[in-house]
Amino acid sequence: MSRKKITYTVPRMGYTYAAFESFFKILGYDVIIPEPTNTETIKEGVSNSPEYMCFPFKILLGQFERVLEKNPDRYFKVVSLESYGPCRFGYYSPLYYKILRDKGFTNFEIVNIEGIYPPLYKGIPRFFKKLIKLTGWHAPWTIVKAFVIAGWKVYALEQLEKKLYYLIPREKVTGSTEKIFNAAVERIRNAPNKVKSIKKILNEELEKMEKNPHVERDDLPKIGLVGEAYILMDYSNNLDIEKKLAYMGVDVDRSLRVTNWTLDRIIKVKSHKAHMLEVNKGYLDFFIGGDGQESIMNTILYKKAGYDGVIQAQPFGCLPETAAKEILTKVSEDYDIPVLSLAFDEQTGEAGFVTRLEAFVDMIKSRRQMKKEEKKESVTVEG
Amino acid sequence: MKIGIPRALYFYVYYPMWYGFFSSLGHEIRLSIPTNKEIINLGVSHSVDDICISVKVFHGHVKYLLNKKDLDFVFVPRIASEEKYKYTCPKLAALPDLMKSAFVNDADRILTATFYTRQGDKLIIDAFEEIGRRLGDTEERVKKAAKVGIKYQDLATKALRSGHTFLEVVKYIKNLEELIKKPVEKKRYTVALAGFPYDVYDTFTNGDVISKLEDSGVGIVTTDMLDPKVYRHYSKYMIKDLFWYQANAAAKGGMYYIDSSDIDGIISISSFNCGISSIYQKLLDLYSKEIGKPVMHIIVDEQTGDAGLATRIEAFIDLIRVKRGDGLVSQENNLHGTEDGVHVRSI
Repeated sequence: MSRKKITYTVPRMGYTYAAFESFFKILGYDVIIPEPTNTETIKEGVSNSPEYMCFPFKILLGQFERVLEKNPDRYFKVVSLESYGPCRFGYYSPLYYKILRDKGFTNFEIVNIEGIYPPLYKGIPRFFKKLIKLTGWHAPWTIVKAFVIAGWKVYALEQLEKKLYYLIPREKVTGSTEKIFNAAVERIRNAPNKVKSIKKILNEELEKMEKNPHVERDDLPKIGLVGEAYILMDYSNNLDIEKKLAYMGVDVDRSLRVTNWTLDRIIKVKSHKAHMLEVNKGYLDFFIGGDGQESIMNTILYKKAGYDGVIQAQPFGCLPETAAKEILTKVSEDYDIPVLSLAFDEQTGEAGFVTRLEAFVDMIKSRRQMKKEEKKESVTVEG
Repeated sequence: MKIGIPRALYFYVYYPMWYGFFSSLGHEIRLSIPTNKEIINLGVSHSVDDICISVKVFHGHVKYLLNKKDLDFVFVPRIASEEKYKYTCPKLAALPDLMKSAFVNDADRILTATFYTRQGDKLIIDAFEEIGRRLGDTEERVKKAAKVGIKYQDLATKALRSGHTFLEVVKYIKNLEELIKKPVEKKRYTVALAGFPYDVYDTFTNGDVISKLEDSGVGIVTTDMLDPKVYRHYSKYMIKDLFWYQANAAAKGGMYYIDSSDIDGIISISSFNCGISSIYQKLLDLYSKEIGKPVMHIIVDEQTGDAGLATRIEAFIDLIRVKRGDGLVSQENNLHGTEDGVHVRSI
């Protein structure tokens, strides 16, 4: 029995695209990963989407369109991750479908994965129906295996990324860690589909990065990143903000990763919600969808963990993030932590962006210096 | 007690309910003045820069009321959901929190409660009880007042369904029954206004589209005049319902008007940087392309000039006249002396 030849294309999400790719490869399909966000994909997306639509929508539309355009002889399943909530994120796939059809593409169908949402008697069957539509009919163990391998790859890639941003400000030869990291990503991407070998490669590569000559130091300024998930998680959307900060000599941490985002938002871990409501008490303790509440919670948590500043990355006009932005001004005053809001859209230029980052880092460094001097003074007065 | 109600956002949907509730409890209601330049400036200077203009205007109204020191409370309700399993825009769901962080010094003068409407009276009464506790009224009286409020809202809905705009509802709030009986004048041309009630009815921000149209002899209908039952079947075209009641009303209502033969054209009004209207405007665009009825989008911001808007509306009226076979506006019928007969507001 021959299967209808189907090619999958998935949204690119930072380095974790390798994991999504292997998920569909294990199931026996072809996968084409869209190219990283660049001026051409943005141009394509912007010219076809509604003017005030979220920036991630425009990016993704542009990416999918390029994929469909380049491979007219293939039949695509376009995978779109969605939620049901007050945020516009949940209405992406109908618009993709309508806009792409309006443009004259016929060689695709949209597959959307959603969480289970009420009413439950409708939500649960719908969820499984969509899951089957996503994977096609396979033996359950193949699907489970694909999920496990993809999960491990995501985990491995995130560990490598964490290590990279930890080592960049500490390395002796600028750029040497990045070289090792790029090779490691390629190795994980092509790793055999066994948990054991992924683990082995991960450990080897982490060791290799660790061995790269660097100076251990713990006096670096620390900046946390909060904001909208897709802008934050994909390095090509946020103009590589993490790497840029790391090269400026900052210990940088990102609050949302694919692993914790999936656990908190798709599988909906109860403790996460309770914790969030507790932290956000008095600021925003009402569900508004998107990552607005997370942004506020993570800002407060970063302050409590001793960070010196927070950068909020958001697409221009993002509904939950704009609401969060206004509340973050109050949080910033109450908790005495500088917050820089950066809105990304198709017009974001790299030079202006770098200048703003540099100014923010300078400000944080001088704040640290001032605090140190204050401490010294108080010690001498007491002495 | 004196309670201020800002004349913005959900005022244009639920004012009758709040009027009925507060007035039957014996509280004095003070509305903020209709939006003007001063209010917009107040709002712009007290909100973040990339929020939509409707919310900026709301900031202005709240600040205007907070500046009046004799008011005990300013009413900023949180409309969490307007239909079962539906939400409101995240910015509106976070509205009391936004106000509290924008006006920190007056935070305890903001009166708020979480409303879930169109899901049974019990949830509405619960919300009113929350307000009653804050105002110090007895539970019995609050319950009674809440029922009066719901009655007022039902009457207002009836008035809307019979073809009156919400602006008339506000004018006739004391005798809504009279308004329901009042006949609606039928005009040769009818244009449907699709959009959120707070964009359609805020006459200053949208450059007074309603009177511009009415002055040039065009009757209007709005999407909130429709019963949701009549446009339910459009969810098949939309693949998936939108998650916001008002956006659904605007999108499906707009499609309903595109399909109905007695409507000449659709004007959709939205505010700058409103994310949700970008979705329904695209849907209306695609649908009108299939059916072939003129749709115009007006996007307003704090800088909207009146002349440019007047030109666009003139052009739109010309378009629907030509489509009907009546030709362009003749100078004899030109009441206002402007080039195409559209009233230009003096500033």
